[in-house]
Amino acid sequence: MAKPTDDHEISRRELLEGAGATLAAVATVSALEAQPAAAQSVTTNDTVPRTTIRVAVNGMRHRIEVEDRWTLAELLRDRLGLTGTKLGCERGECGACTVLLDGTPVYSCSHLAVWADGRSVQTVEGLARDGRLDPLQQTFAEHDAPQCGFCTSGQLMSARALLNANPHPTADDVRAAMAGNLCRCSNYNRYVEAILAAAASPRSRG
Amino acid sequence: MAEPITPLKTVGHPTPRIDAVDRVTGRATYSRDVTLPGMLYARVLRSPHPHARIRRIDTTKAAALSGVKAIVTHENCTVVWGAGGIAGGRQYVDEVKAITKQRRYAFNNPVRFVGDPVAAVAAVDRHVAEEALQRIVVDYEMLPFVLDHEEALTPDAPKIWPEGNLSLDVENQAKPLAQRRGNVDEALGRAAHVFEDRYSTQFVHNAQMEPRACVAAWEGDKLTVYTPTGGIANCRHDIARDLGLPDEKVRVVCRYMGGNFGNKNQNQDSDLIAASLAKLAGAPVKLEFSRKEDFIGMHGRWPTTQYYTVGVADDGTVDAIRLRAVSGMGPYRKNSGGMAGLDLYGCGNAEGIIQPAYTNKTVSGNFRGPEFPQGYFGIQSMMDDVAYRMKMDPVEFVLKNMARTAPGNAPFTNFTLEECIRRGAELFDWKRRWHPQPGSDPGPLKRGAGMAFMEFRSGIGQSSAVITLNGKGQYTLFVGVTDVGGGAKTTMGLIAAEELGVPLSKVEVVWGDTDRCPYSVGESGSRTTIMTGYAVIEAARDLKRQIAANGSPAGEQVVIASATPNPTMEGRKVRNAFGAHFVEVEVDVELGHVRVAKYLSVADCGRLINPLSAKGQMAGGAIQGIGMTLHEDLIYDQRTGQPLTAGFYYDRIPTHRDAPEIEVLFVESDDGYGAYGAKSLGESGKAPGPAAIANAIFNATGHRFKDLPITRAKILGALA
Ligand code: FES
Ligand code: FES
Repeated sequence: MAKPTDDHEISRRELLEGAGATLAAVATVSALEAQPAAAQSVTTNDTVPRTTIRVAVNGMRHRIEVEDRWTLAELLRDRLGLTGTKLGCERGECGACTVLLDGTPVYSCSHLAVWADGRSVQTVEGLARDGRLDPLQQTFAEHDAPQCGFCTSGQLMSARALLNANPHPTADDVRAAMAGNLCRCSNYNRYVEAILAAAASPRSRG
Repeated sequence: MAEPITPLKTVGHPTPRIDAVDRVTGRATYSRDVTLPGMLYARVLRSPHPHARIRRIDTTKAAALSGVKAIVTHENCTVVWGAGGIAGGRQYVDEVKAITKQRRYAFNNPVRFVGDPVAAVAAVDRHVAEEALQRIVVDYEMLPFVLDHEEALTPDAPKIWPEGNLSLDVENQAKPLAQRRGNVDEALGRAAHVFEDRYSTQFVHNAQMEPRACVAAWEGDKLTVYTPTGGIANCRHDIARDLGLPDEKVRVVCRYMGGNFGNKNQNQDSDLIAASLAKLAGAPVKLEFSRKEDFIGMHGRWPTTQYYTVGVADDGTVDAIRLRAVSGMGPYRKNSGGMAGLDLYGCGNAEGIIQPAYTNKTVSGNFRGPEFPQGYFGIQSMMDDVAYRMKMDPVEFVLKNMARTAPGNAPFTNFTLEECIRRGAELFDWKRRWHPQPGSDPGPLKRGAGMAFMEFRSGIGQSSAVITLNGKGQYTLFVGVTDVGGGAKTTMGLIAAEELGVPLSKVEVVWGDTDRCPYSVGESGSRTTIMTGYAVIEAARDLKRQIAANGSPAGEQVVIASATPNPTMEGRKVRNAFGAHFVEVEVDVELGHVRVAKYLSVADCGRLINPLSAKGQMAGGAIQGIGMTLHEDLIYDQRTGQPLTAGFYYDRIPTHRDAPEIEVLFVESDDGYGAYGAKSLGESGKAPGPAAIANAIFNATGHRFKDLPITRAKILGALA
């Protein structure tokens, strides 16, 4: 009996398309406006649909050609070299890949790169401004919130979105807002503590 | 009472990690973040069947796909994964690996579980590699399979190996794990009360946040591997042995890793597969596992079934314990399959016979205290039940029956368990929270309290460290740690600073690279602080001696000091960490929901080097225990052998909303061993958790749940 693949594993593309996306199958060629830091994944598969998008990442504007099947996480990590965004599951279960899309936290593993066209993305690399850590980064470090640190970028981005919307959350508000950010080291107490401390810090900006 | 401990100069103060800023800015590089010029991407094709023989693999269509650079299968890659299936869990011993009969290859035929690797492809990007996997045609001959570990030992069960389903041990013998003291049959014969019961625990996946990934690159005959490992030295040795290379031809780098929790002190099959593909393709290869692959392809805590018979005298003294048990190892015995617990009790007559059985499920391996949480759940649920039947307060019962010496009456280096229990009971307000009559709260919301205790090995042993001092007065510490999450780099830096008498900021720590760092035991078995920490002390002493003899270095001079101490215990002494967990739960018997209302973890982990990180370790362990007790489970479809709950969502690991505040009370002590008296810490925080929570659920509901996890469905089934 022949069964070539494990059909219980849904591919990333099927998963995202199943979520209701209609993909633009436009292949255009263009130069990059901003030179990506790690632009070396060159596919030889010429039949892959590509789209040129405009996207601002951490304030830097890019005009960039993406494969329609790329996730936002792939664009950030593999094309732009922003590897601070982590991938824990690539199917919308863990929150390690959380970034802010026009200020709203999204799972970048479950968002196609083409969907970011015309929008702005903030990643963990864009949290510190002018060499100063975000108050959340400061309190995460002081409270020893990261153990292995793999969930940390996602926790930071969700927490930033929370504090932007609600500068003075209660511990329960924090737990509710952060429910989509798993931490297997289970340093949950410390993450909550650190977020409350950042909210209380004089430098916290809404 | 333990001698009160006062912080030293640098050691013992809450200290943020030296790499904290890298961890919060995204600069910390994990294995999958590594990108090399010309690097290819690889993916693995896995068996969709629990047991099947591969008649034929046709890779021609995959190879024809533009962008595919290399394909490996069992036909062209016959590398043995030595650490993947070692009889008896003796994975550190080459002699054992050499004689192991039941070899586990990187690619096996027959395949023996859903997830066994069948082929791997390297291509110009991951999408091409994924597409190529779909084009590989495998012709499988289906073989009968067995999932349940007890059923696997019945005479008619399908045989997974020709020798049968009882796992072979270190000597290649099909013998159970056996432990005996005194005469159990005689003691049971004379006991005033004899109790019998059965407990079971489930397969729980390590589920560390970072899925396995590996980047392998060859430069001539030298292989460099970037991979998540807590033991770069052991990982390197394993890779070298499996590939037939001398150790020095392999370099293992792990700058950061996203959680360890067990079996990452060795190499992974991903390392061997990536190295094989890179060799074949003549280019660096990054191999990535999906979350599902990591769940079903690696390992988790072995499931167990435990049968206890306990003999008790009229005054509540336990006089005999018999354990008959089976653990499910999956088709390869990656680790021992043991169960801890018999040594917790002082009773002179005890016997444990544990049969590790092969099954066609995902492989079992080490997970944070490999044999502890499940063994402790069984025996401490059993004993808690005995206490109630003897009309005793469980805390009094434990104080009466716990072991005060190690087996064979060997003395402990220090014994603080009683203090941990007494101080914990007081701080927790046990007398008020515990109900003498279980399930006596009126109404659907029922509260109750439970406790369990632990001992955890804290043995001393060999490790290495190097410290240099240059003419500018800069100290550099070279240690072979990774820092899997516990904070090892900072801990090692603190110890060096303490011994050198300089601030932490004066010590540069170099870690995570076998070409730069000396041997370290690896971050498994909670040994790094004890063993490598002690080596750091000895290296610092050596440096101070050299400076005292020859003066400080000037100009371009560098003083190099190193140490590889192998300390030994005095006499027959045994060294353990001790502790106890006290838990209050609120069970909603109409909704089947359990809320952990209060959780106190008390521990003597010796002297704390960095109390800030130590507390996080204990709290994290406790919350992992909550997940294991209440929901985590890798469930299989009995008809097809398919795992149904692979992944974070269906396996249900705890979230922010499941995590209560964990109070931690350290009873610090210094027994004169290890680094300034530090004992084991990382694993011990989870060990008694499931037993304590389950005992609290009994106290709240009056119903003894004997099978983990204690899910909502089970609670409603029993109580609604
Ligand atoms: S990686 Fe995106 S949610 Fe897990
Ligand atoms: S710190 Fe390790 S997963 Fe959160």
